[in-house]
Amino acid sequence: MSQAGLRHQSPEPTDPPRVVVLGGRGFVGGELLAALGHAGIPTLAPARLEVDLAAADAGDRLAEMLKPTDSVVLLAALTPDKGRGIGPFVANIAIGAAVARALEHVTPAHVVYFSSDAVYPMDGGRISEASCAQPPDLYGMMHLARETLVGTAARTPVAVLRPTLLYGAADTHNSYGPNRLRRAAHKEGRIALFGEGEEMRDHVLVDDVVALTLLVLRHRSSGLLNLATGRSISYAELAGKIAAQFERPVEIVGTPRQSPVTHRHFDVTALYKAFPTFRFTPLDEGLAKAHRDMMGRA
Amino acid sequence: MSGPVVAFAGLTHLGLVSAAAAAARGFEVVGFDPDPGRVEAIASGRLPVVEPDLPALLDKHRDRLTWTADAAALQRCDIAYVAPDVPTDDASASDLTPVRALVDVVTRALGSGAVLVVLSQVPPGFTRALPGSPERRFYQVETLIFGRAVERALRPERFIVGCADPSAPLPQALASYLDAFDCPILPMRYESAELAKISINVCLVASISAANTLAEVCERVGADWSEIVPALRLDRRIGPAAYLDPGLGIAGGNLERDLATVCRLADQHGTDARVVRAWLANSQYRRDWALRQVHARVLRRLPDPTLAVLGLAYKENTASTKNSPSLALLAALAPFRVRVYDPSVAPRPEFHPRLEAAATALDACTGADTAIIMTPWDEFRALRPEAVAARLRGRTIIDPYGVLDPVACRTAGLDQVVLGAPGRQPQS
Repeated sequence: MSQAGLRHQSPEPTDPPRVVVLGGRGFVGGELLAALGHAGIPTLAPARLEVDLAAADAGDRLAEMLKPTDSVVLLAALTPDKGRGIGPFVANIAIGAAVARALEHVTPAHVVYFSSDAVYPMDGGRISEASCAQPPDLYGMMHLARETLVGTAARTPVAVLRPTLLYGAADTHNSYGPNRLRRAAHKEGRIALFGEGEEMRDHVLVDDVVALTLLVLRHRSSGLLNLATGRSISYAELAGKIAAQFERPVEIVGTPRQSPVTHRHFDVTALYKAFPTFRFTPLDEGLAKAHRDMMGRA
Repeated sequence: MSGPVVAFAGLTHLGLVSAAAAAARGFEVVGFDPDPGRVEAIASGRLPVVEPDLPALLDKHRDRLTWTADAAALQRCDIAYVAPDVPTDDASASDLTPVRALVDVVTRALGSGAVLVVLSQVPPGFTRALPGSPERRFYQVETLIFGRAVERALRPERFIVGCADPSAPLPQALASYLDAFDCPILPMRYESAELAKISINVCLVASISAANTLAEVCERVGADWSEIVPALRLDRRIGPAAYLDPGLGIAGGNLERDLATVCRLADQHGTDARVVRAWLANSQYRRDWALRQVHARVLRRLPDPTLAVLGLAYKENTASTKNSPSLALLAALAPFRVRVYDPSVAPRPEFHPRLEAAATALDACTGADTAIIMTPWDEFRALRPEAVAARLRGRTIIDPYGVLDPVACRTAGLDQVVLGAPGRQPQS
């Protein structure tokens, strides 16, 4: 079981010699590689042609690339928009097993595993690192299993990060959140909510997730940390904030509810303790940035 | 008054207070501790604990008090209470080694007709397992409360006495001693008495946890817990003295020890203690209430703030910092400059890397961006909010226990943040 909260192996921040990013072509991976490059930290982000993590020999291939001084960040996964069924579950476990095999062969200096808040049940109340991980579906179960796979194989400090809902203009996923709501507002001039948008959720700007990951890498932190702001708002309020970004009116409409209302709140005390000087981007500011970025791309 | 000579072995908080109360009731008392240095200090009036009214009480009855490190002095005693404070480790487990060792010393020194009473807090089964004659061996529940220990020792609500045979009359010496306090005496099996002590604390924690849980709801929905509490106290099923004041989790070590004991017993015997573990989790969560407030209200907008922390002790009227929320707060604020003051605990560098010790509470507030009142000392209650406001650079005062007058705070332009009170939530 992962330790609640983080411990810093390097109390003073120190740039790692090299960071190997597995899954560098994804939403978070791309932003992380850019930030590492901006910080002047050498990186290795093997493309699928170099190492197909789903292949049978992936563990050996990856082990050949790793050095004992590396920090390894595992982001590679088929995300829920690719399906939450048995196929993606098995494929994701295979990726985790391949990385675990590589870690058994080469012990790097540090491992960061990107998990998900999907490991927590939706009816567990306020979530902290001490909350029981009891995944409600195969996607969450996959992440919990991979946390254990990596944690068991790596004989080195391992940080498990469990981000909640991420947003940012570069997000290619279309899950129910700021990105989808913004795109709908832009494209259709209309935001459709589940029910009346009563659900409370916590939304984290990808820039903040990347900044926290850099801190974890520089402190060679180990343990478990949820990546959430500690401030949840309803989808109705979120839709209002997003609609306000547009000059033309955006219609916000409710739809018949298909499932019961659930809420998700985070206790981020462990994050305050791990990184006392870190400040999240305020939601209004983050939404405005994502809006500007999206309009710039459009 | 002639009566039994009563010994108290183990001169830490419990033993000292109990010895003082026995002397105040007119008994001749022998205070024994195997540490000669401790005995010499106590005999010279240098007490190892901070407890209101204790020095005066000991001084007033000094003619009936004898302090000694010589176990032979116990030979003439009719009753010997074994009363060392029982230390706990980081997992709140008791270290019973010192109390066992002292029981051994006292047993060997007592006369054949004397009674031995274990007063220290011990788990069920401890007293019965001790060697020697059970007829003259008893366990008595202590209900020491740091800061109110003298009052409770002088006027106990009841005596709970664990016996080998509860149906047998108590030995004459013990009965006459206990009768002098004029309160109900409840004999019961050893194990019942030992568990009664734990039960009292478990009920208190249940009440505290309910108060903390509902106080947090109050903060979010616009209710005020302080308005609800009087209504609860008038309910006879809850009562006027119920533990309903919200706080920063349980601290001090004793309640934590009892909860840990219940969990251990439940695990051992296969009973359900999930609710007890939930209280422990809630306590940990509440301990960080002030940290969350500081982040939400101050640290989010100020890059390099100065913070005033008033109070280090885990509660008022004690110098104990065992599981103190204040020390936990300081540990989580390491990068920031803090100015600290406590009336009884001297700030130490290990508490915080950028700690500045202040001479007074107002001195600590000078130039600070916020003040956080972590211990509800009376000295802090006497602070005038306008004086605090004049010293503070910021307008936020985090006052979990509401020691400052809320109206005066508003008048002084202070944004006072109190446990269980409806407050303006920080903007996202």
